[in-house]
Amino acid sequence: MRRIVVALLLLGFMAAWWVTAPSGFSELEPPGHTPDAVAGERVFWAGGCASCHATPVNGKRAKGADKLVLGGGMELESPYGVFRVPNISPHADGIGGWSMLEFVNAMQHGVSPAGKHYYPSFPYTSYARAAATDVMDLKAYLDTLPAIAGGPGDHSLSFPWSIRRGIGAWKRLYLDAAPVQASMAEDPLVERGRELVEGLGHCGECHTSRDRFGGLLKDRWLGGAASPEGKGRIPNITPGGENIASWTGSDIAYYLESGFTPEFDTVGGTMVAVQENMAHLTSADREAIAAYLKSVPAVD
Amino acid sequence: MINKNFLRLPVLVAALAIASVAVAGDSPQKARHELMEGVLKAAKVVGPMLKGEAEYDNAAAMKSLATWQSAAAEFGDLFPEGSDTGEDTEAAPAIWEDRAGFDAALVAWSDAIDVAIAANPATLDDAKPVIGPVFGKCKDCHDGYRIEKE
Repeated sequence: MRRIVVALLLLGFMAAWWVTAPSGFSELEPPGHTPDAVAGERVFWAGGCASCHATPVNGKRAKGADKLVLGGGMELESPYGVFRVPNISPHADGIGGWSMLEFVNAMQHGVSPAGKHYYPSFPYTSYARAAATDVMDLKAYLDTLPAIAGGPGDHSLSFPWSIRRGIGAWKRLYLDAAPVQASMAEDPLVERGRELVEGLGHCGECHTSRDRFGGLLKDRWLGGAASPEGKGRIPNITPGGENIASWTGSDIAYYLESGFTPEFDTVGGTMVAVQENMAHLTSADREAIAAYLKSVPAVD
Repeated sequence: MINKNFLRLPVLVAALAIASVAVAGDSPQKARHELMEGVLKAAKVVGPMLKGEAEYDNAAAMKSLATWQSAAAEFGDLFPEGSDTGEDTEAAPAIWEDRAGFDAALVAWSDAIDVAIAANPATLDDAKPVIGPVFGKCKDCHDGYRIEKE
């Protein structure tokens, strides 16, 4: 009897170990892509890297050229505890010395070069939907930015979130590189918008409600959510609800370009940094985002 | 003649008194809110031009710029100590904690307006590079010195 219990426990442990094991690509796909730093700069702005990784200046978010100083250090308050954003500059304390494969696995599988899981506060759950070639271009661009020494300490999370290995199980439930809105009009503009919104732009991470384990409720996709910082609500950006349902596609594109709503009020809160990133995109990409947002199912 | 003027004087004094009571009766919170409403109204004239929804109109654009210029001159005086709360003000505590930063943001706005007025842009293509930055300064100042309401 005792032996059976021990054997069962051992089996359970092995199963848990297997379920939570970090895994990623074992080789680059496609192998022949030559990373392009110029294209990578557009990926950088679309991905919003600076909004979290730029080192705050005098306790405030970095602006202008300071957005390219990626030493990390910002603290993200969440219901799970405090996440401390790491250094992603091309210094040994950041991503200096990483191979391209290690970088792609970090971005799209949430696995560090040391083979550990990243917490999904780093939105690899969205980046998983980006083109691997975009991610490779991004690394080429990041490698051109200033190398910054140092970095913040580890996250301060509450149990059970503090067990990093547990993210392996979480990923099996929630990490999915497939498009969220698989059945949409076959319009190249909408498809480009889907790539930007669901992938690099990681809009769903804030604009979609989560279940109790932090997984996105895809049937409420972009339908708005409680602010992770505790106060206020992140708006519903579908054609439903009362936030931007009345906006036209060109209203959305203009807002992302200029920061002005159709009522000529200015963008506010955490969206300011996002809008400033979006202002770096081409107008075609902003129109694509708008076309996608006008095409997603309305959430009331 | 003298009599008539004597008659007019009390009327003038009374009129002035009423006017000053009306001004003094406005709290700074209300006064600055109304000034901002005027700024917004002027923005709603020029904004659609920059956005490409309305035909560019130099005279209308210059009128809005003049509205903003006088608003920018007055605005800084409407944030005395003690007016940081009440009357649903959207002024952020940062205005009083970082007065120099707030004043610098106002100067940046005012300078951008002066540049645009001096340029007196005749066409939309001329207007975009000089009036665009004026709008940008609205955003810069709101980000940090205005609290977000639901």
